[in-house]
Amino acid sequence: MANWIPLWVHKLGSPPLFYRFAGAARPWLLALAVLAAAGGLYGGLVLAPSDYQQGDAYRIIFIHVPSAWMSLFIYGVMAVASFVALVWRVKLAEVVAMESAPVGAAFTFITLVTGSLWGKPMWGTWWTWDARLTSELVLLFLYLGVIGLYHAFEDRRQGARAAAFLALIGIVNVPIVHFSVNWWNTLHQGSTVRILGPSKMAPSMLWPLLTMMAATKLYYLASLCSRVRADLLALEGGKDWVRKIAEAEGSR
Amino acid sequence: MSAAPLSRACAAVLRRDLTLAWRRRGDIAMPVLYALIVVTLFPFALGPEDALLQRIASGVVLVTVLLAMLLALDGLFRGDLEDGSLEQLMLAPQPLAPLLGMKILAHWLTTALPLIVIAPLLAGMLHLPLAVQPVLLLALLLATPLLSLLGAVLVALTAGTRRSGMLLALMLLPLCVPVVIFAAGAVAAAQQGLPWIAPLAWLGAALAMAVVLAPLACAAALRIALDA
Amino acid sequence: MNAFLAMGGYAAYVWPAYAVFFAVLLADAIAPRLRRGRILRELRARLARQTARQQRGAAPP
Repeated sequence: MANWIPLWVHKLGSPPLFYRFAGAARPWLLALAVLAAAGGLYGGLVLAPSDYQQGDAYRIIFIHVPSAWMSLFIYGVMAVASFVALVWRVKLAEVVAMESAPVGAAFTFITLVTGSLWGKPMWGTWWTWDARLTSELVLLFLYLGVIGLYHAFEDRRQGARAAAFLALIGIVNVPIVHFSVNWWNTLHQGSTVRILGPSKMAPSMLWPLLTMMAATKLYYLASLCSRVRADLLALEGGKDWVRKIAEAEGSR
Repeated sequence: MSAAPLSRACAAVLRRDLTLAWRRRGDIAMPVLYALIVVTLFPFALGPEDALLQRIASGVVLVTVLLAMLLALDGLFRGDLEDGSLEQLMLAPQPLAPLLGMKILAHWLTTALPLIVIAPLLAGMLHLPLAVQPVLLLALLLATPLLSLLGAVLVALTAGTRRSGMLLALMLLPLCVPVVIFAAGAVAAAQQGLPWIAPLAWLGAALAMAVVLAPLACAAALRIALDA
Repeated sequence: MNAFLAMGGYAAYVWPAYAVFFAVLLADAIAPRLRRGRILRELRARLARQTARQQRGAAPP
């Protein structure tokens, strides 16, 4: 277990190699993401019938639910990369963790905005202090804290390690927050809202949702590739391979 | 390393920090004054009706104490960082975590304890029933050390940066949400005549874990943030 | 087509949601490209300064 991870990381962890790999993978990932999104949105917006309870407003879930999944998934990726960065001091893992944070924050923001756009016609309110909404808001603050701490340091790598530590504290904190907010909600007997409508979803609604989930995952990978490439150029500014790229782009 | 030098080093750190705090007694009064001002402003903003103030009293006192502590947290390592004694502490032969634990304890004694002492006064100004006051004090006694310990880890992380005030608040918010929920929940439950032991037990459990883990995390964070 | 755009009366909620989704992700996609361009520009300027200094040093005063 402890052996194959560093081996694999070392192979791909060399910045010039990963730069080339990411550059080759990014267009494919982006094309697949766009393709999957086009298919998923066609299925979700056109083919799927309108819901018998929620009318057409439910069509927001085709972006809301995948974004919510991504907001948690990216936090998980960030925490794993942070762990690798802190334990094995892999430069690439630091970059992956820190460049995941803005994408995760973007998806969390989308989740909150689309959620309140869905909540207004469904519950009659933009915002309710439901356990899931509150946890998502706290997650956004966690992301912002990680990004803020990273940029507060003058030395990039030191900032990355400090922010990675914060990300690891956060991953312990997320379940605690969710549990405590749940408890708080039952104490105050607030507006209990069922977020997931009917528990059994018709296949005509399920496949667009799953396709959109694949699209957001692919998009995240593509975005991560281009972000990591830019970051590696900045980090390795003095090295020969970066110099060659700069000269090649300048002569064009 | 034998146990005796560690305990002596811990006592020395504690005595030094308390002495330093005592020499600047005015700083100790600042968070207290801040809490007093904030609590005084609430009735002006919300109106003086007893029923309303009673309902919000525990929450206002808890959040005020939290903010006052946040204000003071920023200075936990600043003085030591500026005069270089923090580096000395990190180079000391004793393990760093217990020494930092002592620093956190000294900080709690000088900032949170005065706040807890005037908490009954603050709660009384907002007409919190006398019967609920012991629960509030108990909640504060469990919640404030927890906040000090969690905050210390974050302060350690920002030790190497220049601007940290707002960032610290942003980083602390997700961590203090559960603390505020359980502390305020206990007082609210006591006010409604419901059993209030369970949330306090959760706070106690969290405190027990934080006492063990937070100094270790604080030491690790400090080593990351000051690693040259 | 009009019925599709009307979204059963929920157009005011559905379309802004999709607009936010695509606007945020577009901004997220463009930001690293701009940053990459900026980094490379700065790097080229630094390299140009370096070579200029070397030439000045090599030339007899």
